[in-house]
Amino acid sequence: MDQQSLVSLILILITFALYIGISVYNRAKVTSDFYVASRGIPPFWNGMAIGGDWMSAASFIGMAGTVMVLGYDGLAYIMGWTGGYLLLTFLLAPQLRKYGRFTVPEFIGDRFDSNPARLIAAIATIIISFTYIIGQLSGSGVVIGRLLNLPASTGVMIGVVVIAIYASLGGMKGVTWTQVAQYMILITAYIIPIVFLSLQISGNPLPWLTYGNVVNELGALDRELGLSEYFAPFEEGNKAQFLALLFTLMVGTAALPHVIVRFYTVTTMKAARWSGAWALLFIALLYLSAPAYAAFSRFVIMTEVVGSPIDNLPGWTEAWLNTGLLEIADSNGDGVLQWEELVIHQDIVVMATPEIANLGMFVVGLVAAGAMAAALSTAGGLLITISSSFAHDIYYRLMRPDATDGRRLQAGRIAIVLSTIAAGLVALDPPGVITQIIAWAFALAGGTFFPVLFLGVWWKRMNKQGAMAGMLGGLSVTLGYIFLSMAGITFFGIQDTGAGVFGVTANLILVIVVSLMTPPPEQRLQDEVTDLRYPEQMTYKDGQVWMNDNSDK
Amino acid sequence: MKKVDKKVADQYFKIRTTMIIIFLAIGFSVSFGVAAFADVIHETGATIMGMPAHYYMGAQGAVVTFVILLFLNAIISDRVDKKFGIDDKQNEQISGSGSGH
Repeated sequence: MDQQSLVSLILILITFALYIGISVYNRAKVTSDFYVASRGIPPFWNGMAIGGDWMSAASFIGMAGTVMVLGYDGLAYIMGWTGGYLLLTFLLAPQLRKYGRFTVPEFIGDRFDSNPARLIAAIATIIISFTYIIGQLSGSGVVIGRLLNLPASTGVMIGVVVIAIYASLGGMKGVTWTQVAQYMILITAYIIPIVFLSLQISGNPLPWLTYGNVVNELGALDRELGLSEYFAPFEEGNKAQFLALLFTLMVGTAALPHVIVRFYTVTTMKAARWSGAWALLFIALLYLSAPAYAAFSRFVIMTEVVGSPIDNLPGWTEAWLNTGLLEIADSNGDGVLQWEELVIHQDIVVMATPEIANLGMFVVGLVAAGAMAAALSTAGGLLITISSSFAHDIYYRLMRPDATDGRRLQAGRIAIVLSTIAAGLVALDPPGVITQIIAWAFALAGGTFFPVLFLGVWWKRMNKQGAMAGMLGGLSVTLGYIFLSMAGITFFGIQDTGAGVFGVTANLILVIVVSLMTPPPEQRLQDEVTDLRYPEQMTYKDGQVWMNDNSDK
Repeated sequence: MKKVDKKVADQYFKIRTTMIIIFLAIGFSVSFGVAAFADVIHETGATIMGMPAHYYMGAQGAVVTFVILLFLNAIISDRVDKKFGIDDKQNEQISGSGSGH
């Protein structure tokens, strides 16, 4: 093991010990600890935990590389993955919080008073979260494998064991506080390299202010090489695909069950609004940095690596050439490396840039620990969601309504261990490209849940028939379009990653048409929806709004 | 329990809904709106903070706007609640006792 691997490994082990320590300290004792952290998390910290939960291996490892390779077209990810928090905080989170349930399937089951709808929602939640978790486990496998020179599959196994331990011990309470720690580690690890790069290139330590000039210089370099400019729009696709992808990512963000459940951990509608605002601020720190990361690393590669003799390349190239994620071919035979002769896989940009720019072993190790934090924090949140869908919605609400608190906790822990093992097995040999699978998870979440949740809290006339038709129709249209476009049949040039547009549209139409064609829901359910218009202290009852001012106590 | 005048209750809902519609309209125009005309903006050669304007809006402008909108929403909503006599302590108490099932 070389010195670099040793430094990285020590940093990763220290952070692992920290996560496990936090979850042991915050051990879940009762069911509400396990699922919603006893609803006592202050908005600022909840926002930070949402940030850790949200930013996955795809955001940390993949996004800067995507922007670097795609240029302007990669920015759909930046806008989509942040814009979703607008939809979530304005349209869903406070209302869902006031409704006061543990999980998304439980909301759907109780709002529409229908156990079949509950079951459909629980199964869809498990499918979406499971798809998403495979990507996280593969991501952690790549990092561990690269550092220890082990096969990625061994890396996956190590990650699986760590996640299962802390998620099943701590439940949501433990996961919330580990996610806070993981956010701090991952954001530090992400920002330090670009601060140094900014200093190296422009002498100013604030990368967000300095990379504009770098972007312009990249455009000039591209023009010299006869390529399309870095910032030219729609060079890698068409406008319809860009807008469809943006829409899919935004709506999917607002409808992902593991994100929504985080808003159940605060106390009130007011706290849900503040959580959303803090969460987006913390998330934006990384998303504003990703395009800077992309611009700096492309600039360093184009000006310092390109043009060097091919038989005398810097040391960092060798390790990445061995992984197969970097390819170099002297196609014109002049012995000098040209930009066109370099093929960089987008997933290595964040990991490799600190090495390329010679930022030192500690920074490289920190980035590795940050990548692990990103993968583990998201996986932890997903596991709690899978476990609550199974143990709470299916086992407790549908199969054994008389189960004791202890039995339900136990069922939740068993579900976590089983799904970690199952996801780990799939991740040993992932069924496709990681970023693509994650985009599918967003399309499925948006297509299955967004219209149902949105109209469920805003439109009292919506009934169970509409909800079931919407979920099933949205899910099948989204899946159908993904398969069609994989087979080469597309509409308006929209690819599989933009499938959410069709799923959400079908879902919305089905909900409205089917609800209007079938009898309205009973008055009690309609009143519950009207009640969501007002803060906790105001209650809607018998056609009147009442203010609880403690006068009757 | 005290009855709230229907007009007052409706007004509360109307203010909150109007806020949401305005904020979402701003949010969509800085993201979808700018992206829909990105090629046109590119040709004009306009720049913000030293980079092409459409690129700046995608990389920073839209995200910063989203953050500002969410904080504005949280602050203004608190003011609205206060104006209608909502006490957050009471909210916490009600939500704490009402949802423990």
